[in-house]
Parts: sequence; structure tokens; C-alpha cells
Amino acid sequence: MKNAVRSELLKMRTMPGVWVCFGLAFPLTALLIWAVFASAGGEPGHTYLYVHTLNQKRVLLGAGYVGITFLAPVLGVICITSEYRHKTITSTLLLTPRRALVLDAKIIATAWWCALMAILSLVTVAAIGLPWNAALGGVTSHVTDQLGAVVPGLLAATILLGLFGLGFGTLVKNQVAGILVVIGGTFILEPLLVALARGIFHYDLNWLPSAAAEALAGALARGGIGGNHDATSHLLTWWQGGLAMIGWGVIPLTLGYFTTVRRDVT
Amino acid sequence: MPPMSTGPSTRGLPIEISGLTKHFGSVLAVDNLDFVVEPGRVTGFLGPNGSGKTTTLRMLLGLVTPNAGRATVGGQLYRELQNPSGTVGAVLEATSFHPARRARTHLRMVARAGGHDEGRADVVLDLVGLTADAKRKVGGFSMGMRQRLELASALVGDPDVLILDEPSNGLDPQGIAWLRDLMRYLAGEGRTILVSSHLLAEMAQTIDNAVIVSHGKLRAQGTLESITSGIAEASMHARTPEADRLCAVLTEAKVRFRRLSQDLVAVDGMTPEQLGPLLASNQIILYELTNQGADLEAIFLSLTSGMGFGELASPA
Repeated sequence: MKNAVRSELLKMRTMPGVWVCFGLAFPLTALLIWAVFASAGGEPGHTYLYVHTLNQKRVLLGAGYVGITFLAPVLGVICITSEYRHKTITSTLLLTPRRALVLDAKIIATAWWCALMAILSLVTVAAIGLPWNAALGGVTSHVTDQLGAVVPGLLAATILLGLFGLGFGTLVKNQVAGILVVIGGTFILEPLLVALARGIFHYDLNWLPSAAAEALAGALARGGIGGNHDATSHLLTWWQGGLAMIGWGVIPLTLGYFTTVRRDVT
Repeated sequence: MPPMSTGPSTRGLPIEISGLTKHFGSVLAVDNLDFVVEPGRVTGFLGPNGSGKTTTLRMLLGLVTPNAGRATVGGQLYRELQNPSGTVGAVLEATSFHPARRARTHLRMVARAGGHDEGRADVVLDLVGLTADAKRKVGGFSMGMRQRLELASALVGDPDVLILDEPSNGLDPQGIAWLRDLMRYLAGEGRTILVSSHLLAEMAQTIDNAVIVSHGKLRAQGTLESITSGIAEASMHARTPEADRLCAVLTEAKVRFRRLSQDLVAVDGMTPEQLGPLLASNQIILYELTNQGADLEAIFLSLTSGMGFGELASPA
């Protein structure tokens, strides 16, 4: 198991797609930091103010979450679909013939890289958001006091979004289709379904991946930044969101194992 | 040839294929196949396109699940091996690389997955002649270089058994000669070498044993000599200015022949001892009489033309 995991970690480190995801995470986090200060000022785009409410402080710390909502699943999709795109699945299965072990190693590698992405977003906040906040007159320790409330949810949501992407990737196998569906699902399909469910059935569709992850991420999304649910929506509790996200990871991974990974490699 | 390992000189494991059968839908790709590949010898796995060679190799390597039968290495299924890449090295296709990955990184990844020393990457790069290209991305490699890298991947674990599917694809003549020497060297160390190829002339210079399949069935197996000498379809080439009269004599004697040119006739199914007296008794002038035997190409052509090859050399 250890060998397979080490190999998968190296494999992901040498995939350009992984670095594209990380490259996008940085400017997206910076953009959201700007948005936090702009919204704190009351007149977006014109006046900036240091974060002063509890919600603003937490949203600043979790500024990377918006990018993560689609970049983490894309990371998961890339982890498995690149094997089929470049036909490396043959050599992977020759080196690790127990297929469940391959999937287990990919789960750990995806979780690791997603955790790094969440940490990168926090580092970006530390590098840009906190100095900017201090320059605007805010007290840094007042923001960092909220790390305990934000980081566990941010990490858990990022990792489970990545595993959702990994599971989805095992089902579709096609990398381009997988990435497009993940991004389209996050920004188009899920908001559309949420709106339709609310408008037609008066039902809050709060267990879909983005919403469930948002619930798991907890307070950082309560300000409505980046989520498909506004402040009036009824999000699941963090643990309900966590269970829903585990389901969104486990179900496609299980289906993918039986429909794709166990198949003949011809 | 650089040394591969410091391991013992006799180290191969037998490959045993027993009752192996595979259907793809209604297509029977492999039909109750049985054969054994011995250690210390280079065994050619020969057959026309679509004869089930690659499917058989993939079943042996656990990539394809058979409908019936077993394919084992040293008595174990591939997926049951404690150290798969240290036991079996396989070259299946020269396209299974991430194009953005550097050659050395690819081999380090292979070494990691197999639990081998990552320093093996440089050893095998040197062995296949790619040291100078170690830091290049595989996407820029030629087909021949990819084939060498695939072979390097197979050798990272210093395996006891080497399975090669069309390994000379894309290699230049020097590369093919190098590959031949490598296979002979590794077999000389006692390793088991199973190689499938359609380059029959090349195979004839390389292999000790042959397993010949057609339409998923075993047609012949054994040493190269036993297969070729056991074939009744040996062919004699007779060069004569009286080719027309020779053809008439052969027709009358009910002997199969082929007119190859104005003065050259191929006489099938006769030995020199049979053909010589026939020519003498009919006083046919002869410039040259050569025994073509039944080389691998003849065997292969027999298979592809469906000429009852199964009767010519019986499976051992």
C-alpha cells in the first residue's frame, strides 16, 4: 500500500493539470480576498474596510474556498482520468495488480493534494489578506483567532470534494468530459436544480455536492460567498454535510470500481 | 551487455497456460489454450494478427479476466505474486506514458510502485541507452525511444520473467540487434523470456522455442528445430531451363508446386531424396536444387492461408 501511495503522489506531482489547478487557486483566492474587503467597505469596488464582523473574518480566512469548490473535484477527476487518457492504466495495474489497492492509493493521493490546495489558500490569505487587513486598520490576531473555526471545515470539504471528483472520474474515464461536467455541474447544473426545486417544489435541495460541501465547510460560507445557497437557505448541519459528501465520494467510487476499474484492460 | 543484476545465474520461473479461454461478446479470442514456457530460453509467441496473442499475454498479466482456465507464473496468478514487478517485467505497448513526465521520473515512479530502489532508474536507463535523454519529457520521444523506455520500465524490478509484446516495433536495425542480444543475455542468466512478434525473420534468429497460435488455438509448440523439421511441407526450389516440362511431370506425379519464375519452380511436400530421382528418371536438366525447409515465414504463411498447419507439427 505504501509503495502504491508513494507512486501515486509522485504521479500527481508530475501532472501539469495538477499544477494548473494550483495555479488557478492562487489568483482566485486573491480575488476573493479583494471581494471580502470590498464588501466589508459597503460599496464594492470603491471602498475597502478591514474585516470587523465574525462572519467577515471567517470568510476572509476561507477565501480560497470558492476556487476549491471546482478545483478540488477537477483534481480528483485528473487523478484517475489521466490514466485512461494516456493509457498509463496498463502500467499502473502491472505494478499494482490488486485493483482495489490502486483505487485506495488514489484516494489517499487525491486527499493529500486537496489538503495541500486548502493549505495553499490559507497561505495566500496569510500572504495577502492579513497584511492588507492590517494595512486597513484591522488586528491580525482577531482574524487568526477564527482559524480553529474555519480550517477543519475547509480541509474536510476540500478533501471530500476531491474524492467526489475522483469517484466521478472513475465513472466517466474521459478527462475532458469529466472536467467539463464537474465545472458545469458546480456553476450551472446544481444552481439550476436548486432554483427549480425551490421554485417548483418549495424544496431546499441542500444535499447536492456543492451545498453539502458548503455545509461541511461551515461558517466560512455563511456569508453567501461562492455558494449556491443564499443566506436564507437552509444548509445542512456540518455533520450532515459531511455525511452527504462522504456519500458523494463513496457511491461513485464504488460504482466506478465495479464498472471501470475492474474491467478488462485491452 | 552491461550486467543486469547481482542475482543468481539461474532464476527463471515457468509460465503455464492451462485451458485458457476468453470470449469478447460472441468473438472467441482465445480457445482452450495450453502451453508452457520454460526458463532460460527465449520463447517466441507467434501467430497472425487477431490470433489471440495479446489477449493471452494480458490474461497472464491479470489485465484481462479469462472465461476459463489459468495462466500462471511460477504456479501463481500474477495478481497473487508477492512482488509482481520484481518477478515479471512486461512490455505491452509503447504508448503508455504521460507525455509531460520525464523519462527518469517515469522510472522512479515505476520503482516506487514496485518497492524497488529508485536508483534502478539510472541503471536501466543506461541499459537501454537512454541516459542522455533521462531528463527529457516522454512526449518528445520517438517510437523507438518509447519502446526502449518501456523495456527499461519492465527491467526496473530486475525480474525473473520478461514478457514482451512486439518489442521491436519502432526500433531501428541497430535497436533490433541490441534487443536480440539483450534477450539472449537475459535468457542466458536463466530468466524466462516470452516474446510475441510478427517479425519472423528476426524471431528466427532470436528464439529457442516457439508457441504458434491461430484463431486463438494452439497450432504448434516446441523448439524451433522440432517445429521446422517436423513439417512435411518442406519446399524444394528447382531452377531449370525445362520448367514447363518439370511442371508437367509434377502434375502427372500429383505433386504440389508453384511456378515462381520463368526458370524457377517451388516443389512442396517433397524431400531432396524424393525429388532427385524423379528429375533424373525424366532426364530434366537442373541448374540448381535448394532445400527451402520450412522456415518460420512458411509456417506463418501456412497459418494465415489456413493450410491445415495443425497437422504439420503436433503440439508437444
